[in-house]
Amino acid sequence: MTQSDIILKAENICKSFGTVEVLKGISLDARNHDVISILGSSGSGKSTFLRCLNFLETPTSGTVTIQGEEVLVRDGKPQNPRQIEKIRARLGMVFQQFNLWTHRTVLENVMEGPVQVKGVSKAEARDKADALLRRVGLQDRMEMYPSQLSGGQQQRVAIARALAMDPDVILFDEPTSALDPELVGDVLKVMQDLAAEGRTMIVVTHEMGFAREVSSEVVFLHEGRIAEQGPPDQMFNSPQTDVFKKFIATVK
Amino acid sequence: MNPIEVITEYWPRLLDGTIMTIKLTFLGAFIAALVSPGLALVRAYSNSFAQAPLRLYISFMRGTPILAQLFLIYYGSGQFRPILQEWGLWTFFRDPFNCALLAFALNSTAYQTEILRGGIMGVAQGEVEAARAIGMSRIKTLRRVVFPHAYRIAWPALGNEIILLMKASALASVVTVFDIMGRTRQVFSRTFDFSIYLWAAIIYLCITAMFVILWRQAELRLSPHIEPRPRPRTAMQPAKEPRA
Repeated sequence: MTQSDIILKAENICKSFGTVEVLKGISLDARNHDVISILGSSGSGKSTFLRCLNFLETPTSGTVTIQGEEVLVRDGKPQNPRQIEKIRARLGMVFQQFNLWTHRTVLENVMEGPVQVKGVSKAEARDKADALLRRVGLQDRMEMYPSQLSGGQQQRVAIARALAMDPDVILFDEPTSALDPELVGDVLKVMQDLAAEGRTMIVVTHEMGFAREVSSEVVFLHEGRIAEQGPPDQMFNSPQTDVFKKFIATVK
Repeated sequence: MNPIEVITEYWPRLLDGTIMTIKLTFLGAFIAALVSPGLALVRAYSNSFAQAPLRLYISFMRGTPILAQLFLIYYGSGQFRPILQEWGLWTFFRDPFNCALLAFALNSTAYQTEILRGGIMGVAQGEVEAARAIGMSRIKTLRRVVFPHAYRIAWPALGNEIILLMKASALASVVTVFDIMGRTRQVFSRTFDFSIYLWAAIIYLCITAMFVILWRQAELRLSPHIEPRPRPRTAMQPAKEPRA
């Protein structure tokens, strides 16, 4: 696979909830090894856009294509449940509220996807989960339940859970927004490592530091549209639009 | 006769009645437990149109006395004997035990459905989304995430329902099923010794107590992820800080 291969292509995504039009036609390409940060003020539609990519929300119109395979939609739902389930298995997702399965241990959380969705053997899944949890620094927490962990630890488990599926792209939905300030660093560090090893990531975030230093591309959403888009240096050093200038000023 | 003599003489009958009560209650609760998950899913997830007949059924079962339901089935089936015979169902309805079992199963299904619906609706939506996002099918999501949580949430209320059903099963004695109550009345009509009722009460109490202990053990097994409650603290002490 070459650098320029498009893994994920979203074209003209629109989404309305009732009469409220949240997304008004957003297109985005993610190539292999891209780290795309999506910025925007509250209500700009950035989380909704991310959720449209794996069809936790079904776009009102527009198409999503994953490695050349277009998700077929009919009557406001993915047409074929099997297709979207297969595609979701290739798109990792990390949520703002972690959403770990609280009735399963840390290790079981990470093993669940490979065993239940991919049909990997338990022994194999356990070895892999073990390695991933070591990697995110939770080797001594494997037999604990999520409620016994801090938010930062839970989010690192959630990242390990996503990684266990060997996803083509990982979607992060404000992964550090629910964390105490002193715990944000650990999670960002893990994400930075993932970016460094060439993972393809789409990150909705409020962390300007991450957007600026780690991402390869920044997308700024405003009122359901892409207001500005480009490499982080250019975006932050010479913002083109008033709305983005104002946004940078307020978050700094 | 003193109370000891009564029990030493008539214990085989009470034992017989106890077995009948246990059979009736737990078979009824078990049948309801098989049917209610599917109905609870309809109640929790489907549109109001599909729910209408189900809501009617639940309203009826919860809104009328269980004794009336029992009579409807027991005496009602007698009225329709020719039809039931034609359908080959008469052998079932002829036996009062079957009528009582059907009444209790239908009644408990309504309650268990509503209890389980509450459990299903109490499952954290984020956990369901996480399961969908990782690629689990709907069925698998129900099996791996929704029902484990829903049953844990509903567990105490389900136990309560089974205890209530156990006590309501005494009504079966009215349609000539010889459960604890039926046997007790039989003994009383011979001895006129009211202490037999005291023994009956003690038996009910023992069954309930044993059930509560077993149910509680099962609850603990279902909840390894739920921390034991913090020690009681006085109003002046602040709540413990979140775990680091």
